[in-house]
Amino acid sequence: MSTVSLDEIVLMTQGLHKSYGKVQALRGVDLEVRQGEIFGFLGPNGAGKTTTIRCLMDAIRPDSGTVRVLGIDPQADPVAVQARTGYLPGELRLYDNLTAEQQLRFLSDMRGAKADWAFVQRLAQQLELDLTMPIKNLSKGNKQKVGVVQALMHRPELLMLDEPTSGLDPLMQQEVLGLIRQANADGATVFFSSHIMSEVQVIADRVAMLREGVVVEVAETHSLIERALIRTTVRFKQPVDGSALANVPGVTVLSWDDHSSVTLQVKGDMDALVKALGSYPVRDLETARPSLEEVFLAYYQKNH
Amino acid sequence: MLTTFRYTIRWMRGQILAWGLGIAILGLILVSFYDIFLTQQGDLLEMVKNYPPEILAFFGGDATYIATPEGYLTMYGFSMLPVIIGIFAVLAGSGLLAKDEEGGQLDLIVCHPVSRTGLFVGRLAAFAGATVAISLLGWLGFAVLLGTSSLEVSWGQMALPFVALLAQALIYGTLALLLSMITPSRRMAAAGAGLVLVTSYFLSSLAGVAPRLASISRLLPYDYYQGGEAINGLDLASFLGLMAASAVLSLLAWWRFERRDIRVAGEGGWRLPSLSLRRRAEA
Repeated sequence: MSTVSLDEIVLMTQGLHKSYGKVQALRGVDLEVRQGEIFGFLGPNGAGKTTTIRCLMDAIRPDSGTVRVLGIDPQADPVAVQARTGYLPGELRLYDNLTAEQQLRFLSDMRGAKADWAFVQRLAQQLELDLTMPIKNLSKGNKQKVGVVQALMHRPELLMLDEPTSGLDPLMQQEVLGLIRQANADGATVFFSSHIMSEVQVIADRVAMLREGVVVEVAETHSLIERALIRTTVRFKQPVDGSALANVPGVTVLSWDDHSSVTLQVKGDMDALVKALGSYPVRDLETARPSLEEVFLAYYQKNH
Repeated sequence: MLTTFRYTIRWMRGQILAWGLGIAILGLILVSFYDIFLTQQGDLLEMVKNYPPEILAFFGGDATYIATPEGYLTMYGFSMLPVIIGIFAVLAGSGLLAKDEEGGQLDLIVCHPVSRTGLFVGRLAAFAGATVAISLLGWLGFAVLLGTSSLEVSWGQMALPFVALLAQALIYGTLALLLSMITPSRRMAAAGAGLVLVTSYFLSSLAGVAPRLASISRLLPYDYYQGGEAINGLDLASFLGLMAASAVLSLLAWWRFERRDIRVAGEGGWRLPSLSLRRRAEA
């Protein structure tokens, strides 16, 4: 499946299946996450992202398939996996009657008091989180910050984050992404799910797209965008007969506007199109590379 | 495991105080009123003799028995205490893991480096510890005024009904815990264990006047409860039998917890047939 050596693979699933009654949540998920990378796990709601992550953390048990996290089978030795992993659940629920600090101290104690408290306070400061506030008085975004801090506070080797920026305002989203990047720069491998394409595009080295419990694409983020179709609009100085453009390899004519402007879709490089346009009186040419969001949407529209 | 125990028992301290002090206050009142009871014993016995046997069955079945220290303690205190402490045990046992599971916190906790066995044992030990602490507080309440009373019961003797009571609390608590691992909601588990608690109390009490019920009541925990009678010596066989049954229920609950998926908040649930029918009718 891959040329990457086993030592470099931090997280691996093969043929992962999980059903809830008659509902098949995962139908053979194959994944490989390499050491030191930031890996985005994309998919619409209900695709199976959370189920996959909860199988990896041994909160739920798969029906079949192989799972290895940090080289360990989480079902055989969950404690070994959990000790080296920072986990942020998709639906974070904290104890309402505790303050943020009490909650974090409780979770730190569950790890054998492994958290460096000065680091916790620095993280809280960076996220503008008041640790003295009772959880019940915190907004959804501030609760999410507590979740982010608890995942990072013991400086784990692997971060498993389910929608880490959920509920945060754009400024705090950037702050959290910065913390994830920093953890990655300090050596942590990051596996995170999201449906906010812009953040995945900004920080993920590679992405996997999940659809109805199956991984439909795994690629480096930039190559996924580069591989995507480019939309090009050409405006001419005067009306032209552009029927020849339809025969250019890799080019599909989408629409004409009074024979003075044409919108095309280009697959691969643009060399053939640029050469073909040499015989036309071109006024200007506009190309738009799609965002990851458009690639994502194209994937799901194409497959429906 | 120790961390889990420490936090769980700390979070139960309000319940320990409330239930323990409640029982202790009952004990203080009972012991201090014993001498007044003695002076009015004749009238009371006359009144109790007129009770129908079905009612007397709940107080030991014999009017003269009520005049004895153990009869007095059973009638006014220990006959009802398994139900009282049983309510605590059912609520605490059913919520020991299922409360956090339904609240969504367990999803995060089980992903911390504590084995499920460690988490289970830590919480179960905290429940047992809380039950012991409640029993101790209750015992103190029953024992502290013994020196001023004509009951002629020593502190050590007074501890024995609480040992019998502890076994009752543990069996209802572990039953509720097991049900919370099987049924989809804490409420359902509490209802199931609560039903056993109440049924056990009524059937075992009525079995004294309706022998046909004896064969059923023998299957239920209250039948093995001595009440105030324990001040004359603990029925060790019943105590150990109940403790063994609690251990079996705990093992089954642990076995289930080890193997099951942890639900996220709001997940799961059994659809009630009546609701399904209504939905079908609406469709």
